[in-house]
Amino acid sequence: MAPRQSTPPAVLACGEIRTCLLPARQALDIRSAAQLLGLRADERVLLSERPGLYARSPDTLTGVDCPLPSANGARVRAVGTVTAHAALTEGRVLQTSAYCRLPGAGPDQRRPWGEYLVRPGVVEPLGRLPYEAVAQGVLGGPCHGDLDVGLIADGLLTRVLRHPLLDQRPPFRSRPTRLRWAALPAAPGEGPSLERFTLAEDELRTVRLRVPEGTTGTELAALCDDLALHDWLLTTVVRMLDGLRLGASAAHDAGAVVRTLRPAVDHLLHLWMPGARVGRELAALWDPLEERPGFTRQWQALVQRIRDQLTLHAIPAAHREVEPAP
Amino acid sequence: MLVFAASDKGGTGRSVTSANLAYQRALTGDHVAYVDFDFGSPTAAAVFDVPSAMRGTEERGLHSYLEGETAEPVRIDVWRETEHPLLRARPNQSGRLVLFPGDAGGGEFATGEEALERCVDLLLKLNGEFDVTFVDLSAGRSYAVDMVLDATAHPRMRNIPFRWLVFHRWTRQHVIAASGLVHGEHGIIGGGVERGHDEDALRAAIRFVRAAVPDPESPLWSQGSTAQATWMQACDEALRRLAAEQRIGDSVVLGIVPLEPILQWQEQLITEEDVLSTQIANKETLEALEEIARRLTDDTHWGRL
Amino acid sequence: MTEPVFRETAAEPRTQSVPLAHLSVELGHLYMEDFEAGPQRLRAHFAEVRPWVEAARAAATVRAGGKRPRISTCFLIDDYFTRFSTPAEVVPMLLAEAERAGLTVDYLARESGCAVTGKVPVAEAVAARIVESPPPGSYGLRPPAAQTGWLANGERSPVARAPQAMKRAVTWQPPHETAARRHSVFLDVELWSDDADGQRLWSCPFLAAVWQLARLGLLRNEGEAVLVPQPHSAAGFPDKWDELPTLLKLNERADPFAAYRTCSVLPTRFLPVEHAVRVILDQIEVDPGALAQVADRSGKERVPVPASVADRISYVYYAGL
Repeated sequence: MAPRQSTPPAVLACGEIRTCLLPARQALDIRSAAQLLGLRADERVLLSERPGLYARSPDTLTGVDCPLPSANGARVRAVGTVTAHAALTEGRVLQTSAYCRLPGAGPDQRRPWGEYLVRPGVVEPLGRLPYEAVAQGVLGGPCHGDLDVGLIADGLLTRVLRHPLLDQRPPFRSRPTRLRWAALPAAPGEGPSLERFTLAEDELRTVRLRVPEGTTGTELAALCDDLALHDWLLTTVVRMLDGLRLGASAAHDAGAVVRTLRPAVDHLLHLWMPGARVGRELAALWDPLEERPGFTRQWQALVQRIRDQLTLHAIPAAHREVEPAP
Repeated sequence: MLVFAASDKGGTGRSVTSANLAYQRALTGDHVAYVDFDFGSPTAAAVFDVPSAMRGTEERGLHSYLEGETAEPVRIDVWRETEHPLLRARPNQSGRLVLFPGDAGGGEFATGEEALERCVDLLLKLNGEFDVTFVDLSAGRSYAVDMVLDATAHPRMRNIPFRWLVFHRWTRQHVIAASGLVHGEHGIIGGGVERGHDEDALRAAIRFVRAAVPDPESPLWSQGSTAQATWMQACDEALRRLAAEQRIGDSVVLGIVPLEPILQWQEQLITEEDVLSTQIANKETLEALEEIARRLTDDTHWGRL
Repeated sequence: MTEPVFRETAAEPRTQSVPLAHLSVELGHLYMEDFEAGPQRLRAHFAEVRPWVEAARAAATVRAGGKRPRISTCFLIDDYFTRFSTPAEVVPMLLAEAERAGLTVDYLARESGCAVTGKVPVAEAVAARIVESPPPGSYGLRPPAAQTGWLANGERSPVARAPQAMKRAVTWQPPHETAARRHSVFLDVELWSDDADGQRLWSCPFLAAVWQLARLGLLRNEGEAVLVPQPHSAAGFPDKWDELPTLLKLNERADPFAAYRTCSVLPTRFLPVEHAVRVILDQIEVDPGALAQVADRSGKERVPVPASVADRISYVYYAGL
């Protein structure tokens, strides 16, 4: 008789999130969102209407058996499943999120596959896990052939984007972003902490966390989804304003300014709600980001700038160009 | 907007001209992608002068992407990675210019159902991200041409605007070949209709670019004899008549690129610098490229004729 | 941490629980050819089955620590691949032959119920829960070798594909069983086939895998139990198979239909099908809520179940009749 297996505690969790604008002219209502995200016939899409429309697909699993990325060149093979889900915020921002948890040690040989399937979202090393090096390897980007959860998020995104419900007419041009995260155990007695949030390349962000034992993959993914969503909003609105020619040359084409900024008002400005879907304990990790650089501060400045521009261009051109009298 | 660059024959300057069009559009502030679907000879990196960025793209370029070996094809930010000293300083207010190269060492290959789906995925993604996406296609009735005809007829692509530029040189053979590529039995229009395209809509989305056209008025030829000049005029006339008969006459021409030594000898981007300070390129060439780039999205130059 | 004040039911998953026995014993499958062979075939079958059912009962008693184990019996009739006779004719004969052998059929199921029950597309839902066993080298890129409608226990031979111009085509490679010890026993299972009209026909091994999941209490649809036994209230049996509930409780005092483990007593000719069933079950991610309920309750009863679902099923094969 086989003893019942308990999952050994995870010493590392890692994941990657893709965030993009939903390529559809109209934002999806909650029913269409449920249709889009119904990845499984027998599982409900989670729908939530407070504090905003939010839909999340059932989890899907992908099997992996490959070396783990590591900063020190250690080649540790690991086997298991990576969890992924897709989520839609206000019918407008689409995210796919893939993640897994890794225990500190595993058997020397691969087990029968069915034993991995009963522990969804766990990738088990063969032997001991050099978790600090692997965490660094994950954030640094895996080499070809190493575990790449980003590919799983990307595969799910491709699948969702092929849905016939989408008319492939995004209301404005934008770029998807990627957020990679790794969570290591916090020191005994310590609460969770956000060690680093890095804007790496144009589209890549990395997040390094410390969390107490017992923090679930779901809770972590919820936090990182939330960070990715808000980072994407900031990035997208900043780029929108970047592409704008302001001042004298814009005066000739007030239409262009309004055309460029209006989608922000129509589709994005109401989405800013940091921490809304994150467990209380992890939501506190927003605090350092709010302090410096101040995500919400920047957002409010951008929102103000967009509103000012639109107000300015609502004034007929003749008046707008008049120099103030001394 | 997707822009497909096709030609019946090699040596029409298709790649170098479309790369220059991409460059011109980026200068005006558009975000531009340049996709190298010239599977048999993926060489766009040379035009954009990004040879070192190509290192390590053997297994991550468009060949590998379409064959499902990699999830995301390599992208090369031209402003950042070019070795061309003038391009490196990204001009103020210019848009992004991103090259999607083929695999270094990749070859022509037959595309299947899955490659088509991936092609559609890619084109949709680029359309959501870039203002203009140039797709440089292998010469002739190639797998690449078939694939994008299939892709643009795909239900998922029904709302995506696209236009075709067919490049040809100004010779009898090239005129006939270019007409054949578009109007021939299994040409772009015929093949497109077989795949579900609307014939009129497709016809309205195709324009021609005459490349390497010697201008009899140009100072290049002013040293020649009168007999030579007369002969050139007559040839030009005859070619115009032929082009009209072949249904690729002036009314469906988007632009004419003059014969330009630096495009012939060293496929490269022509900058303002090349015209103004070093004067290795002709002003007319740059103007022609700027004009074609502008007309790409000027609807008065497109539509049914 | 305190419970949140605000809740949204559509935002919270839940899983219905089902009653569970210790063991579900399958007394047999009935196909058209068995029926056509007459009552003697059933009689001989039940005579072979009887001692093994006794043995299974004894083994379950040992496993339960000497306490009386909860055991239910079931029987499956094929009404999916071929339709024959009527329930009114078949069922009484079946029950009479079982009784003659000293066996009680607690639950009677129709095979088509494993494909669709009521409005629930059971087989389709289970198919969507397949998570293919990754061969070594699977690092997250979409599995390139996935064959729609087939499931293997390893890597298939590479398919010869038209290579890029001037590149060499790959030479033949053998298939490889992922869990092989030195040598492979490679199996590739057809899960379904689609006919010209696009009608999907589920394969016998796939429906048998669904049947095993039902018996293990692990089938759910949107969190609700599927294939719930219906009491037999009418006096007789209907003339149409569709009017017979997909899962019928014939014995009022029977232990629960679903169980921690299953045992099926079958003639040896079912061996290839049941090998395929194991290959399928080993690659299905069952509802985690249902899995947790079974693990939790079996743990509390001190009769823990194997972690792997495929290890919860067992067989007795008797020599062919």
